[in-house]
Amino acid sequence: MRKMSRESFQAGVVGQRWLTGHVFEISFERPRGFSFIPGQKVSLTIDDITRQYTLINQPDASKLTICVGHVPDGRLTPLLARARPGEIVILSAAAGFFIYQSLGRKAVFVATGTGIAPFLAFIRNGVRDFCCLQGAINERELLYRDEVEQAAGEYIPCLSAPESNGPFWNGRVTSYLEQRLAKERYDFYLCGNVDMIRDAIRIIDQHFPGSRVFMETFF
Amino acid sequence: MKIYTGTGDRGKTSLFSGERIEKNDARIEAYGAVDELNALVGAVVASLPSVPEGGVVSMQLTRIQSDLFRVGAWLATSAGSPSMAYLQPMDQEDSRWLEEQVDQMQSQLPELTVFILPGGHSSAAWAHVARTVCRRAERRIVSLLDQNTLPDDGADSLLTYVNRLSDYLFVLARYCNYLAGMVDQVWQS
Ligand SMILES: Cc1cc2nc3c(=O)[nH]c(=O)nc-3n(C[C@H](O)[C@H](O)[C@H](O)COP(=O)(O)OP(=O)(O)OC[C@H]3O[C@@H](n4cnc5c(N)ncnc54)[C@H](O)[C@@H]3O)c2cc1C
Repeated sequence: MRKMSRESFQAGVVGQRWLTGHVFEISFERPRGFSFIPGQKVSLTIDDITRQYTLINQPDASKLTICVGHVPDGRLTPLLARARPGEIVILSAAAGFFIYQSLGRKAVFVATGTGIAPFLAFIRNGVRDFCCLQGAINERELLYRDEVEQAAGEYIPCLSAPESNGPFWNGRVTSYLEQRLAKERYDFYLCGNVDMIRDAIRIIDQHFPGSRVFMETFF
Repeated sequence: MKIYTGTGDRGKTSLFSGERIEKNDARIEAYGAVDELNALVGAVVASLPSVPEGGVVSMQLTRIQSDLFRVGAWLATSAGSPSMAYLQPMDQEDSRWLEEQVDQMQSQLPELTVFILPGGHSSAAWAHVARTVCRRAERRIVSLLDQNTLPDDGADSLLTYVNRLSDYLFVLARYCNYLAGMVDQVWQS
């Protein structure tokens, strides 16, 4: 846990936990002097391979935690999936501008897959009263559902291939946006894959003019 | 960090402060010019003469590239928006730093008493292109300030910075020729 230069830190793995068959959390000891704003990400390097991950721990937690979607033929995530306690990774200082701003309008969080990460960071920093559309294939893939649902003023799980008949929107987050969300001005926060973000923005421009949009594209 | 990237196929784009605006908005013109300038600074770095002084210039230009991100973010933020809290506005110190680099380079160059043709070593040629785009960025920023849609905070320092940057790029072009052992071509009227 040594500070390397102004911008990077060595940190040891302290824990790992699988949330679903292909998503896991991994935690690192928190380097001294490391600070971040909820919603920010770090660049993580192992063996000269660098990828970015959003921090999901509470701002003052003693560990840094990220939530990772395992891409079996990816370059970095298989290394992270196999990482053992004590293994050292290199972390950059936290960076990024996908940060919650209270702007007096209703905030609508739209997340797919691991894109829930920055919203979890917001929630763990006390953000409430938002509307959250969480997209996944099925119920089991709704990461951190209970925590998000409890904090949200309005929580809409959107499932593209549900396995039961529970209360959820049967379809993608974007179809909910287009067909159901009341037509008002909002502050939209979008996080996930680029296709969702592109579709969501098209719908927002068309149906929610005058809204603000903040976005973070994971892949 | 994808602050202003390519999710607006429909002629709109997002500001740093969240608003959706038309792509031909004056702001987009302004930060587009800054973006173009940043890319050209990258071209200068890529073509610097391979002499030890080139390494020093390369470090300066890398700093300038990240400063230009700060400029871009500032241009993409509406006055009064909470996003301003995350900006790191340019200050007079940044401009002074540029002036110091200009003085440093200039002290090694022959005094200029004639007009020179932009060109010479490829790095010098890129630096001249960057200089002209820098002037354009400055003009665009001035027009935006006339429309009063930018945060006041830091506007003066930002303009000073962009203005000094074009001076820097002009002197840098000459310095690159000097490092590459080339002579600036004089304009024969
Ligand atoms: C700002 C930012 C924040 C990010 N935060 C997170 C985060 O908190 N958690 C996270 O898991 N990822 C996050 N990512 C994505 C992450 O940086 C990597 O791209 C991802 O982990 C894949 O790395 P890899 O080397 O294993 O795959 P690569 O060898 O780079 O292969 C990339 C391919 O993997 C697929 N892929 C990439 N990311 C995912 C994913 N999350 N789920 C499913 N498939 C994916 C895509 O098809 C992509 O083409 C973030 C990206 C950015 C730009």
